[in-house]
Amino acid sequence: MYTTRNDLMSGSKGPKAVVLLDKVSTVYEGERFPAIRDVSLCINAGDFVCVIGPNGSGKTTLLETVNGILRNTSGNVRVFGLDVTESGHSVRTRTGYVIQNFEIDPLSPFLCKNVVMSGRVGKIGLLRFPSERDWAIVDESMRLVGMDSSADRPIGKLSGGEFQKILLARAIAQEPEMFLLDEPFANLDLKSRADVDRLISDLNRKGATTVMVSHDIDSIPFSCSHIIVMNRGRVAAFGPRDELLQNGVISSLMKVRGSAV
Amino acid sequence: MISLPFALLVTATLGSILAGLSCSIAGVFVVRLNIASIGFCMSHAAFAGAAFGLLIEVDPLLTAMLFASVTALLLAPVANRAKLNTDVVIGIMFSLMIALAFVFLNLSPGEAASGAALRILWGSIFAVSEYDVLYLALLCAMMVSFVTLFYKEIFALMFNQKLAKAAGVNTYVFMLIVVFLTGLAVSFSLKLIGGLLVYALIINPTSTAYQFFWDFRKIMVFSPVIGVASCIAGFIFSLETDFPIGASIVIVSAILLAISIAISPKRRTAKIAAQAA
Ligand SMILES: Nc1ncnc2c1ncn2[C@@H]1O[C@H](COP(=O)(O)OP(=O)(O)OP(=O)(O)O)[C@@H](O)[C@H]1O
Ligand SMILES: [Mg+2]
Repeated sequence: MYTTRNDLMSGSKGPKAVVLLDKVSTVYEGERFPAIRDVSLCINAGDFVCVIGPNGSGKTTLLETVNGILRNTSGNVRVFGLDVTESGHSVRTRTGYVIQNFEIDPLSPFLCKNVVMSGRVGKIGLLRFPSERDWAIVDESMRLVGMDSSADRPIGKLSGGEFQKILLARAIAQEPEMFLLDEPFANLDLKSRADVDRLISDLNRKGATTVMVSHDIDSIPFSCSHIIVMNRGRVAAFGPRDELLQNGVISSLMKVRGSAV
Repeated sequence: MISLPFALLVTATLGSILAGLSCSIAGVFVVRLNIASIGFCMSHAAFAGAAFGLLIEVDPLLTAMLFASVTALLLAPVANRAKLNTDVVIGIMFSLMIALAFVFLNLSPGEAASGAALRILWGSIFAVSEYDVLYLALLCAMMVSFVTLFYKEIFALMFNQKLAKAAGVNTYVFMLIVVFLTGLAVSFSLKLIGGLLVYALIINPTSTAYQFFWDFRKIMVFSPVIGVASCIAGFIFSLETDFPIGASIVIVSAILLAISIAISPKRRTAKIAAQAA
């Protein structure tokens, strides 16, 4: 169910609101201007939200503000009904994050299965050791992304796309209630893209609220329910997918993309 | 070959083993977290602190710890910031601490003080008391239990700090503990290894282990093994040659590192692949 901005402003949150942002701004340390400003939105349980927008429009900042990796400078962030400033840890334990593609030192001493297991650390909890069940979940996650044969390979030896899949497996192994995926299709070939698209949609259908960033409007999965358009740190548009796809904001964004190429 | 009284031999042997163990465990954190500049600054802060201790006539170990901890506390919050310009930090802290150390040493009165000062600079087995060995043993126990009990958190942190935080690890607290333990390892090993060289004992064993293993667990095991082995070999070397113990240990660990880089299976495969391409 989609909650309108007016519902949000009048303070009535739907019973299933998973993410609730109220006039949220986030300023990076040492910066003067907020990277996202006055963002208000509501994401309900089971939604599949795609965040699109040009480079530097604040998509990553939005995700990291939602799980509290970045502290918002003003406004209010509530996730799972918890205040992120106070209960960041439990929010993050229940949220799987796929970080935007980053470089890894090719000599780094980490095996894939252990990287995938590291997604479960918060879930397993302090002073506990991974059980057989935890390892079974790790195996299953690697199988889902088609990387089960790479369990004992060093992470630095993977290709960009394989690495991306391991990061996704890591988030899946966490068994989160919500996924925050920052450009999960980066580096993937067409077939892998279709596979991952199907996988993410499956997980969403099984109940995981999903927020996925993409700067490419063509890669919005079919099962996406809502679209957020970011521009210069603001929400330029937010609504159900079909409504937004006909909206002028997106086509103007695409025109910019078209003329830039 | 110098012969030592048995008690001193035992203290020095234990001291070498424990210093090797604590420094090389700290090395795993320092190398992987890219906080080499912090480790570097802390070892020199500890050196300046020890010199200050001589000046005001309190146990140099205490003031070394104090200086190292304050440096750690000052630097820990900036450790995980991408913006930190490490060159600037090294430049300022390193020169400031060395300058302070020399000022303190210069101000310290008497022959005894300058002898003690030299020992802090070069390290000496005669400077190590049973208490120092006891402290080192306690520190090693702390570090080993930290690594064993929180292995999965440490692994997540070493892989990627942001992802560790995103999975629910309290990265801030873990970073503090890591930096603090490193500071203690530096301070406690100072008398034996010497302020100028203790840093090499932190970096070399881990870097050596890195040449051979792809599995973080093995790095976590073999880095201390290599560190302890370097220290024992260095100690024997120093008895044979009459070199200062710190210098001997660091020479041994540097040779091990050089050999391991030369024969590293990681690099060898890389070379073959490059030739094939
Ligand atoms: N660590 C940082 N410190 C200061 N400013 C930052 C930092 N990270 C991002 N910014 C700024 O914040 C704004 C939003 O960045 P963000 O990474 O959220 O963009 P994005 O929409 O994810 O872009 P992309 O499509 O390139 O990933 C940009 O103007 C960027 O320059
Ligand atoms: Mg981004």
